[in-house]
Amino acid sequence: MNAGVATFAVSCNGEDRTGVSTLQSEAKLNRFFAEVEKRALRIAEINIRDRDEALDLVQDAMIRLARNYAGRPDKEWAPLFYRILQNRIRDWQRRQVVRNRVMVWFGKGNEDNDYDPVAAAPDPAGRSPDEVLQTHEAMQSLETAISGLPRRQREAFMLRTFEGLDVAGTATAMGCSQGSVKTHYSRAVHSLRETLGEHWQ
Amino acid sequence: MNERNDVTAGDAFSEKAKAVFDESVNNLDGETRSRLNRGRHAALAEIDKKRSAWIQWAPAGGVAAAALLAVVLWTGNPAVDELASPAMAADIEILLTEDSLEMLEDLEFYSWIELSDATDETMEPANNVG
Repeated sequence: MNAGVATFAVSCNGEDRTGVSTLQSEAKLNRFFAEVEKRALRIAEINIRDRDEALDLVQDAMIRLARNYAGRPDKEWAPLFYRILQNRIRDWQRRQVVRNRVMVWFGKGNEDNDYDPVAAAPDPAGRSPDEVLQTHEAMQSLETAISGLPRRQREAFMLRTFEGLDVAGTATAMGCSQGSVKTHYSRAVHSLRETLGEHWQ
Repeated sequence: MNERNDVTAGDAFSEKAKAVFDESVNNLDGETRSRLNRGRHAALAEIDKKRSAWIQWAPAGGVAAAALLAVVLWTGNPAVDELASPAMAADIEILLTEDSLEMLEDLEFYSWIELSDATDETMEPANNVG
């Protein structure tokens, strides 16, 4: 048997192995999605300030992960999922920039995109109005401060702090080195502390 | 995760940010949770689609694989390579030509003809004398 046959056999085995592992990982993938979907939605929502669009992006990221990476080891799913989501968020933001530019050119403003924090506020769940208000205000302040960060710092901060990815996982999700992640994260925390300091200490 | 905990241990700011964020996650309304649930099932359905496609194309893939294997084995067979060499092709041509076979059968006759021609050539000058 020559090299061509050997390559063909390896290819067949690879397909088979992928198929089997895909079958076995479906239940695990369901648990993974259930675990990350709500945090992912909030992270996307903070980035793009639109819940409906954020829901679409999270669903799209889940579909892409299931379609292309379900056979990968489950410990790789979180960095891969957030990398897909970050790419989708970036694409969405680029399209928005172009869309807004075109709308301005046609003489139409961007009145529809004004973010209403009260309308987007989550429903309260059994807490005192003061507690709800405090948490809501704290989150609104934090979201505003995060929105003012450069994109890479924003990504590093949210992936590390909100999602709890380690440096290596964050580097995979962001597509950069671990050193860059540490730098972006450190600068983000420093900047947010300066912005929110008085309210948060 | 340990590295992350080391970095953020004692970091009141990060801990508070995480707590506030988690609170906003826990307070997501029912409609949003329902939409996330539907999105998750749509994503998992992609695995079933992929599996169905695999099963659907498996027989065709098997036939193609068998054909490919046959081609690879045929082109990779040393005997076939030898047949393709010029010397072997000439041998085959000889074997398949009826005239050549007849010549081989009458090899003694052709040897005698050749010997006779050579004898005539040597005798010829002598015959011309005179």
